[in-house]
Amino acid sequence: MKSKDSKSNHPLPQTEGFGGGLLYWLMPVAILVVAGIMLVLRESEMLWRAQELNLWLPTELFWNTLMKYPGGAVSWIACYLTQYFYYPWLGTLILCALWLIICLLLAWEYRLRGPWIWLTALVPLALLACVTQTGYWVYYQKLQGHLFVPTIGVLFATLCLIVPRLVESNLSKSPARWIRLGWMVIICLAGYPFFGAWALGTTVLVAAYPAKEPATTWRGPAVVTIFTILLIAVIPQIYYESIFEMTKRTFIYLAAMPSMRYGKESFEIYRLPYYAIVLAFILIMLASRYGDALIQRLTKKSSNSHTAAVIAVALLLLAVVGVHAAWYRDVNFQKELAMNHAIDDLDWERVLEIAREPAEKKPTRQIVMYKNLALFRLGRAGDEMFLYPEGAEKQNVPWQLHMAQVGGKQIYYHYGKANFCYRWCMEDGVEFGWKVEFFKFMARNALLNHEWEVARKYLNLIRMTTFGAKWADHYAALLNNHDAMYLEKAEAAIKAGKPILSERDTEEFLPIMHLMTYPDRLDSDNTLVEMYLLNSFAKGNGNDLLFQEMTLICALIMKDIDLFWPRFMKYATLNPTVHMPRYYQEAAYLYGHLENKVDISHMPFDQSIRDTYDRFMQFNTQCGSMSEEQKAVAFAPMFGDTFFYFYFLVRNQKTN
Amino acid sequence: MKRIISTPHQLLTSIKRGIWGWALSILVLSACSGPSVPKQFTENELRPHIYPDYADITIPVNIAPITFHIDDEAKDYVTRISVGDSEWTFGGDDVCPSERQWRDIKQKALAETEGKIDVEVFVNNDKGWQRMRPFAYTVVSDSIDPYISYRLISPSYITYEDLTLNQRCLETFDESLIYGNMINSDEENGQCLNCHHTQWYNPERLQFHVRHHLGGTIIAYDGDIRKVNLKTDSTLSAGVYPTWHPKQPWIVYSTNLTGQSFHTRDVEKIEVQDTKSNLIFYNLETNEVTPITNDSTNLDCFPFWSPDGKYIYYVSAHWERRDTVNLDFELIQHYKDVQYNLYRMAFDEKSMTFGPRQLVYDAVARNRSVTLPRISPDGRWLMFTEGQFGVFHIWHTDADLYLMDLTRIPFGDAPAPVAYKSKGAAGKSDIASAADNKHEKGADTPDAVTAATAQKKPDGITAASPRASGGKPTLKGPIVKAHEGTIRDSASIAEASKIPLPEYIRVISEINSPDVDSYHSWSSNGRWVIFSSRRVDGNFTRPFITYFRKDGTFTKPFELPQRNPQYHREFMRSFNIPEFMSGPVTVSPQEFARIIKDDASSVNLKIR
Repeated sequence: MKSKDSKSNHPLPQTEGFGGGLLYWLMPVAILVVAGIMLVLRESEMLWRAQELNLWLPTELFWNTLMKYPGGAVSWIACYLTQYFYYPWLGTLILCALWLIICLLLAWEYRLRGPWIWLTALVPLALLACVTQTGYWVYYQKLQGHLFVPTIGVLFATLCLIVPRLVESNLSKSPARWIRLGWMVIICLAGYPFFGAWALGTTVLVAAYPAKEPATTWRGPAVVTIFTILLIAVIPQIYYESIFEMTKRTFIYLAAMPSMRYGKESFEIYRLPYYAIVLAFILIMLASRYGDALIQRLTKKSSNSHTAAVIAVALLLLAVVGVHAAWYRDVNFQKELAMNHAIDDLDWERVLEIAREPAEKKPTRQIVMYKNLALFRLGRAGDEMFLYPEGAEKQNVPWQLHMAQVGGKQIYYHYGKANFCYRWCMEDGVEFGWKVEFFKFMARNALLNHEWEVARKYLNLIRMTTFGAKWADHYAALLNNHDAMYLEKAEAAIKAGKPILSERDTEEFLPIMHLMTYPDRLDSDNTLVEMYLLNSFAKGNGNDLLFQEMTLICALIMKDIDLFWPRFMKYATLNPTVHMPRYYQEAAYLYGHLENKVDISHMPFDQSIRDTYDRFMQFNTQCGSMSEEQKAVAFAPMFGDTFFYFYFLVRNQKTN
Repeated sequence: MKRIISTPHQLLTSIKRGIWGWALSILVLSACSGPSVPKQFTENELRPHIYPDYADITIPVNIAPITFHIDDEAKDYVTRISVGDSEWTFGGDDVCPSERQWRDIKQKALAETEGKIDVEVFVNNDKGWQRMRPFAYTVVSDSIDPYISYRLISPSYITYEDLTLNQRCLETFDESLIYGNMINSDEENGQCLNCHHTQWYNPERLQFHVRHHLGGTIIAYDGDIRKVNLKTDSTLSAGVYPTWHPKQPWIVYSTNLTGQSFHTRDVEKIEVQDTKSNLIFYNLETNEVTPITNDSTNLDCFPFWSPDGKYIYYVSAHWERRDTVNLDFELIQHYKDVQYNLYRMAFDEKSMTFGPRQLVYDAVARNRSVTLPRISPDGRWLMFTEGQFGVFHIWHTDADLYLMDLTRIPFGDAPAPVAYKSKGAAGKSDIASAADNKHEKGADTPDAVTAATAQKKPDGITAASPRASGGKPTLKGPIVKAHEGTIRDSASIAEASKIPLPEYIRVISEINSPDVDSYHSWSSNGRWVIFSSRRVDGNFTRPFITYFRKDGTFTKPFELPQRNPQYHREFMRSFNIPEFMSGPVTVSPQEFARIIKDDASSVNLKIR
């Protein structure tokens, strides 16, 4: 049924189609293109990591697991799409395409025209801020598919607005009102289990959708308002009592929204982009209903697109400033992500390149540990470990971050602590949800532990993901090649010229297997990855050269003289033909002078070690009156790359 | 037994489940029905690789459809299930009869073929159609309890989000929640739940614990639901491992101070240890807690009430602090030296007192450690889990199930190592004699002496009577110290390992696996046992069911059937403490949640 007087008394813009002017779409499209490019350029590593810290499985069990909580469908869709960040540009393209759809729908639904169309870009900008503020939340966010959830939620809302738009265009007032109320009931009742709080928000949006004819009395809007409040208040309660047995009552109105909480603390600032989404909708509604009238009042003209443009551009600029302010920028975070990725690729030189990149901040312990790991893997730790900046910068987050929950799993894995890597994958899988990354570590740990069947389980799960098949197939080959995962057999095969591990697997697994040559014991890391590794290795003792070198490195970093000497001696015994690396010599030379427990007079130290030590001590005499902090600065240019500097002037390296 | 829908909550849950169930059924049916058996094929002598391994299993008449997945790679699959002249065919690599088909299959089998159901798998691969070696199911008319309860928990270490207590109808695939921790948890306040247990299979009489946030013990008893705090100033902790009296509103708990540490290399990954543990008695009617044991050198755990209510069976390890380091650290260092024996105490209903403890099985003498005694409803069979050390055998790959014939033990004459006989020997074996000698040299009261004393006290209750204890009732029996808690040298370990099992105990080799086989529960008719096993992948615990024949042997255990045969392969949680129930728990999770939000009521301490 067509409206009889659709032209005469229509308070809304008359625009049909998507905004009545393609030129006006250049602005939102340009914003989306720039947003996409910026995302790819600045956040590729975060986006890639996000898909590793994501899981989507094409199984009924996975669907049911998410649907135990209201809003599970949003997460299900979002998890599926997050996988496409495997290629950051592809995931970003999908994200931008969805944002464009949202803009087009909003313009049509709210009958925006002219420069007001530009306001549709406010919503994607708010959604962009939801993504770019992520930072370390990528590890800590419990909402599955969190990068895509707001976009899917808003898309759901805009799709739901199609109905009131059609109804208002084609039906008279009374049936339109009843259909709208019915539609609200359907959205709330049928949408809540699948879309959670987004369905509640959508119900409000439909209720607030501008009617074709403004109400002349207060009674109609009041009834709709009360009805809406009742709907969104009561329906979640009904679901709580009947279906959702695993959701806390106080959370039912926030289902499928990110919690932005960690431990006892709630971080309101991270909710601002979500409030911005609401604000964007309000502005679009206001522009739709009152935009032209406002301009008319301001300019005394029936139509003035310049004024509208100025207002729209001003609002967009504010939004851009907001996105810029919300964008999480932290050089150490970016470095950690990049190093993490490089280690996944076993690209150790790249890890060192990143460690060398100049930065305005000192490195975090995680960066230092990545660097040390890379040097160890390249066999250069003894000669280069102090050539890089030392530091213990706290990660830039307002909560107590634990390395075990960030890069610690990867570090444990490569240091041969398979059970501890497995443990933290399991702990975080339980706490934050299962992730592809966890399965990848668990599968490889299981292979190292010769737990073939559980390795198969994890590999099969990885294979079911959209981009995991190749990875899973690669490692699944080892399930039929058990000998390859035994150090002696793998090395014997290499010696015989018939390697049973591929080149890549040899590079990945053999050093780890060497580091696993220690006896079992009961232990606990108390969530302190670095301290645990230092202690457990420094107190270890073995006949494996790589293992023994690791014990020596850890004793060196711990500055523990008593632990150092036996490990130094054993390393020298196990490795008699190779030139003793620089820093092991420096430590021995220094300790020999500090304490007279070991006679170093017969040791063939390099002349450069002796000279550096002498210069260091002379300079120390010259700087006698300086404080330790002043000395740290003064010594750095000449001696910052020596063990002597590390021993005397690098202190209080707090690890997490 | 039909599933009962007695509350609106259950109705809605059923509707919810029904929607997904119907959708899935349509998909499954469309995938599973209609194929025909190839007319030409070659025989393949190999068994098809199917998961779960249901080949040649014995199943109860009321079990849900047996579904399986064919792992053999092929282009096409056809499976024929036949009973006499009737047959049902299924296509695809998932073989999943509908509930109606399955009912027909079972009924026909019982009526026509003495329960035998033949299964043939045909695969079409490079060699064309092949018929793999057939296998069979055998249906028996002994039914199984219609429900089981279990906790679903990730095999994690300290985190416990999404921890649920579930119930599953064994006749269908219906699973529902009894209580889940997330309904009362948030980022700041996590909640653990554990140790569910019903009184004699009765779902109306259930108890479980919630820990940490809003902690307490929830006890539902014929409609009355209460939350109590069983911790008193005189007990180690709140109640932990429970056992209901078979009829009366009494529960015996262990109280435990438990810690865990982590293996750096071993695949067992976690070691859970008690540093202290005792037993307490809780009377629901009077809301009183009475300590039963309280010896700091004995670690008493996992009590189980005998079906006649006359005895409490439990396990105990003896451990005395040896050095000056703290006890936790000492136990961690010597975790392999903590070994548990099986004991019992007589219980007098009238005076509500427990007799002195009697050694039932000296596992420590054999360098072994016992846990989880569970007695069959007829009171004859006691099943327990045995490993080399410790009490938390779910993390011990050597853990196996053992069966003890209680009728063959001269009860009241608590068995002791001296009574052990090696096979074929009429009197003591050399090893047993050696063990005797070792006792005699020990400073502690040896088992042999205690056992001799116990022989004069047929039911053990006398020792607990007021007269026997100098006019004052006592709940504490004499401490028995045997080979427990001794740090042994390798020679004595080797020697102990040679000591054979007593005649009345056997390892249930027909159901054990190379991996963990642990928690077990008897069905109410005593014909079925459900137990936890990690045999599938070594990490995730799955429930297995086995039929107990009248001759005292078991049939091949089968994994709990699921609608999706690969469900357990995809599932990332363990089934913990599977226990039979006669029906569903009808209290809704939301109702439990409301009770749990309330403060726990304190209990009264009663010292005898």
